[in-house]
Amino acid sequence: MSFLAGWGSIALAAGITVPPLVLLYFLKLRRAPQTVSTTLLWKRAVEDLQVNAPFQRIRNNLLLWLQLLILLLAAIALGKPIFEGSRQTEDTLVVLLDHSASMDVEEKNGKTRLEIAKEQAESIIESMPGGGKAMLIGFSDRATVASAFETDRSVLRDRLESIPQTNAASTLTEGIALAEAYMQNLVIAGDEAGADITVESSATPARVVILTDGNIEDAESLTIKRLPTDDMQIISIGERDDNVAILSMEAKRNYEYPQLLEVFSLVRNFGTEAVRCDANLYINDKHVDVQSMALQPGSIKQAAAGGDATDEKNASPAPASKENRLPATGSTASIAFDPVEYEGGGVVEVRLTVDDAMRADNAAWTIVQPPRNVTVLQVGEGNLFLDRVLPTLPIQITKMTPSEYERADEYKLAEAGRLKFDLAILDNHTTERLWPGNYIFMGGVPKIEGVESGRLVDGGIVFDWDESHPILRYVNIGKVLIYQWQELILPQSAEPLVEGQETPIMALLSQDGMHFLISAFSLVAKDDISGEALLNSDWGFKPHFPVFLQNAIQYMTGSLSFKGVHNVRPGDPIEFAVPENTDEIQVRRPDGFVAKVQTGQFTSVNYAGTRNVGVYSAKPAIEGRDQYAVNLFNASESNIAPSKVLKLAGSNVEATAAVEHINKPFWPYLFLAMLAVLLLEWAIYSKRIFV
Amino acid sequence: MATATSTKSNDLLDPEFIARLERLEMVSKKIFRGSMRGERRSRRRGESAEFADHRNYVVGDDLRFLDWNIYARLERLFIKLFLEEVDLHVNILVDVSKSMAWGNPEKGRYARQIAAALSYVGLANNDRVSIYSYANGLVGELAGLRGKRLLPKVLDHLQTVECDGISDFLTACKQFSLRHSHPGILIVLSDFFDKGGYESGLRMLLGRKSDVYCIQILSPEELEPQLSGELRLTDIEDDDVAEVSMSRALINRYKQNLQAYCRGLQEYCTRRGMTYAMTCSDVPFDQVILNVLRRRGLFK
Repeated sequence: MSFLAGWGSIALAAGITVPPLVLLYFLKLRRAPQTVSTTLLWKRAVEDLQVNAPFQRIRNNLLLWLQLLILLLAAIALGKPIFEGSRQTEDTLVVLLDHSASMDVEEKNGKTRLEIAKEQAESIIESMPGGGKAMLIGFSDRATVASAFETDRSVLRDRLESIPQTNAASTLTEGIALAEAYMQNLVIAGDEAGADITVESSATPARVVILTDGNIEDAESLTIKRLPTDDMQIISIGERDDNVAILSMEAKRNYEYPQLLEVFSLVRNFGTEAVRCDANLYINDKHVDVQSMALQPGSIKQAAAGGDATDEKNASPAPASKENRLPATGSTASIAFDPVEYEGGGVVEVRLTVDDAMRADNAAWTIVQPPRNVTVLQVGEGNLFLDRVLPTLPIQITKMTPSEYERADEYKLAEAGRLKFDLAILDNHTTERLWPGNYIFMGGVPKIEGVESGRLVDGGIVFDWDESHPILRYVNIGKVLIYQWQELILPQSAEPLVEGQETPIMALLSQDGMHFLISAFSLVAKDDISGEALLNSDWGFKPHFPVFLQNAIQYMTGSLSFKGVHNVRPGDPIEFAVPENTDEIQVRRPDGFVAKVQTGQFTSVNYAGTRNVGVYSAKPAIEGRDQYAVNLFNASESNIAPSKVLKLAGSNVEATAAVEHINKPFWPYLFLAMLAVLLLEWAIYSKRIFV
Repeated sequence: MATATSTKSNDLLDPEFIARLERLEMVSKKIFRGSMRGERRSRRRGESAEFADHRNYVVGDDLRFLDWNIYARLERLFIKLFLEEVDLHVNILVDVSKSMAWGNPEKGRYARQIAAALSYVGLANNDRVSIYSYANGLVGELAGLRGKRLLPKVLDHLQTVECDGISDFLTACKQFSLRHSHPGILIVLSDFFDKGGYESGLRMLLGRKSDVYCIQILSPEELEPQLSGELRLTDIEDDDVAEVSMSRALINRYKQNLQAYCRGLQEYCTRRGMTYAMTCSDVPFDQVILNVLRRRGLFK
């Protein structure tokens, strides 16, 4: 609090008013009645004293103190006291609060960024004019409306407190869309039935306040339609930047010696100070190995124009709000732990012993399974290339012809309601005998809802393919010749891997617990007339065909035998495989909470409550599909240095450090306090007089 | 009746204390002329067993007092003169103004107890006891009592008198002097807090050539006031108000004034041959009778 009029005015006011009050107390004294036998001697005594002392000694009197307090308050009020308050906001307010992983950073005052952001948001809400309304939206990888437009500030405060901390990445698109959806007014034009419904913007323009530390992945690609961007305020939360993060981790078994488990990890220092720390390897919570490392400061340097922005595979692109950056030399360390002889399954954890601002990225987990050969059912009339390549892979193959497959007893193909094999490769065969499991269809399609094969396409060309997908890694399918393929008609949920001119040539599809890799062509086609096997593609001759097969088997079987599997990002759903006739499973979260999930008699259950990093396990569940590791692995979130400039919807918006403050007069509160003290003084005075 | 008297006597006088009073006798420093034959030797010649002198016979003298032995030797007529034994007037002047109803124990009751005890001593010695109560003048009178059989009457009188009215010592003394002309012992029981002053009244009493005893009775609250804070002091008699802010200095000053007041009264009495005694109402009154007044020479 400060004073516009200065301390001199207060001293002057106090000097003018306080002495007379004290003087009044020399004159005016409230006396209690007392009867005495005679006043003769008392009068003489008083006269004697008064003769000797012109003033009586001031006495401790509650009324005097109260009146002095009133005068003091009045004197302070005359000094025009002011205090810093937040700027009074518009009538309509949209507050977007970042609660992503980086907001869990504990700042120097002991509060997390989310807590600081909540305080700032509360301050903004408090500064709303009377009757003003505000909407609260929390955003991370998803956005949730914590409170729709609400005028009751206590409700808003409660809702604000209910916004949880997550370990998810930060995206704003959904939050902006939600805000816009809540702001629009539906106006029905015309009285007739079926008249146009036009969407108009809210009558009162809203002010948008975004409380974030700036690490928003999609800020630059945002499209804002209705919200007034000119009046958008971004409040930057946080100061710390010291963070060491595990950006990726992989545990895989040695190809030749599957009992040997090899664990790799990538660690990066995002802070401005050099850091020495240890990376500890745990298998099922048992300490196995430790690697020390020295990381140089992760000071930022500009990337060369057009240069590669990042050198780590798993690191996310640099945040949109920040310029392209390269990690400083020595700030990143790749750790390869000594191979561990471990034939069991379980949780492999890498944990950093470092005291930094963010904890969610100081540990990473992955799930490994005991080494065993993948069981593959090969169904087909005979395929030279498959017959040559598959035996070279560490898998256990069972062969059937299509007719054998169709006639086989169910117990030979399925077990406990699921496919008995880890993977079934169906070559040139279309079937509806399917159970929950993994399938690769080559030249055929599964007979399930939404999947059909169309006309044959001759001599078409491969139009595009997703070379970043694990199945097509190191596979140059663009140079493959395909003589004929069938058009694939797939549901919207299918993920195309290789695109033809009109329809996908290869796609992934998951439906009802069944996972399919569907290829529109087979390497070998049967001649319609002679029935002989004809070469349909030259892919079999290419060196990357075995690579593709291994990638596909590894991917479809979840890399059961080689790599740690089931890594999920925070917020992504995970799918537990459930035994038949199970009504409910219990999902244990990393924080120890056990969530009960109804299966609905399905053999797979999706669980979406993966907001925090750690290991999620389900019971009862099919072994191998009962545990998932959720890891941050997000360089954008781990780079916790707050952004001062945010590139929002194509334009730079400067973030303010805190809520904008203005000077607010304090004298009304002093005046109220004066009135209260005056009432108290009056009450005490009355009590003394009339009682 | 005897029971009633006994009960009343118990209120003011304890029977055991009455027995102790039996042994006391009032002594006057002066020898007064009594109106009736009493038990006290007088300067007057009169009828008693104690020879005083002879004088010549004159016609008309009582022939019974002729000293026939001298006539036989000298053949002259002489009359034998004897010291006359006279009664003693014991007057008790009790202050019953409103201020005497103050204090704990109450000063008025204390004064009446002393008056009762003194009356009993007088009555028991066949003195002529008169009790006057005064406030703004004489308000009660019980005069000329003799003989201890009249004690119940004294006690009745003392108990029926109420403390009320403003103290006017001078008027009371004037009225007393007019009504009572006989010299004797005069005992004044009062707090002597009279805004008109006590000097004129006492001077009026001295004029009667009485043997005056001034017994000043104060309460503990007057001697050691336990007051604090801002007070509006009201005089119990005349509602006079004094606004005071109690402090240690003021209380000390009050005590000094009280001491000076009492000392002034004492000096006034001493200089004029009066006897002064001061007591507090929380001092057992029998001690006052048996010790204080005895030391002052009222009793033998």
